[in-house]
Formats: sequence, structure tokens, C-alpha cells
Amino acid sequence: MNRLLPLELIDKCIGSKIWVITSDSREFVGTLAFFDDYVNMVLEDAVEFDYGQQIKSPKVLVNGHKICMLIPGGEGPEPIQG
Amino acid sequence: MDSETQNPRSGMGDFIESIRDTTVMVKLYSGAVYYGELQNIDGYMNVSLNECREIRNGKVVRNWGEAFIRGNNVSYIGAGS
Repeated sequence: MNRLLPLELIDKCIGSKIWVITSDSREFVGTLAFFDDYVNMVLEDAVEFDYGQQIKSPKVLVNGHKICMLIPGGEGPEPIQG
Repeated sequence: MDSETQNPRSGMGDFIESIRDTTVMVKLYSGAVYYGELQNIDGYMNVSLNECREIRNGKVVRNWGEAFIRGNNVSYIGAGS
């Protein structure tokens, strides 16, 4: 049996790259450090993609409220600049 | 499931502890950006900041001083830059 609960799938992503898409059209790519039952997430070396703009932060706590989709290993919508 | 997922916020607590009293960037769903020294944060993502500045187009537009931001507006909190 290799069937994972959704949160177990996210748990397996801790320490690796993840691509987060929110329902208000923001996207984040970063290394997943923590998350909780609300799917609030802490990303390290994160890049936010906000309507073509890229904003980098070493650590980000993303509110889980509008998180829509998570893609393990995702590299984001476009190449990261710099 | 490991202990991290069974005890939600255990890892988050460590993270919050590590960014308390540092300068953070708080971005709201509206796009408004605030910089300030993080006093505290709670489970609703309510945030209290010291020396809070509001930034628009890369410029400081208001100096709010001590400020409280209600958590429902907070998109994310960036730290460490």
C-alpha cells in the first residue's frame, strides 16, 4: 500500500523545493521548512512571483488561507533571475 | 505521520521565535507592504510591529510607529533580508 494522505505528501516535501500557487494569483517557490494543519508554510530562500515581478526573501511565512495548489519540486512559472 | 504534523506549530513556534525582534516585511493581500521590527505574532497571523513603515513603489509613504495588523489581511511575512 503506497497511498499518502494529502498532508503526508506535503510532509515528504520538507527540506525540498516546492511551488506554491495561491488563489489570488501569487506564486511562491522555495525550500519548505515547516507547515501546519492550516497549511501555513515557512519557505526558505523564497521567491514570490507577483504579476511578473520577482521578490526574494531568505525566509517567508505564507498565510495558508489562500493557498490553492502545491507542486513538489516545482521550479516556478519562469526562470528565477539573478 | 511524524511528530511535526501531529503537533502543528511546533516547528512554526521555533520559526516565529527566530524572527521575533528582527526586521520583517509584511505583505497584505491588497498589495500594501509594511516593514517593521516584529514584536509578536499569534495563531491568527495578527502581527504587532515596532517602527512600522508603509512602503509603496519602493518609497516610505508613512511612518506608523507601533502598529497592529489584523491577521486576515496578511498574505505573507518575509524575514531575514
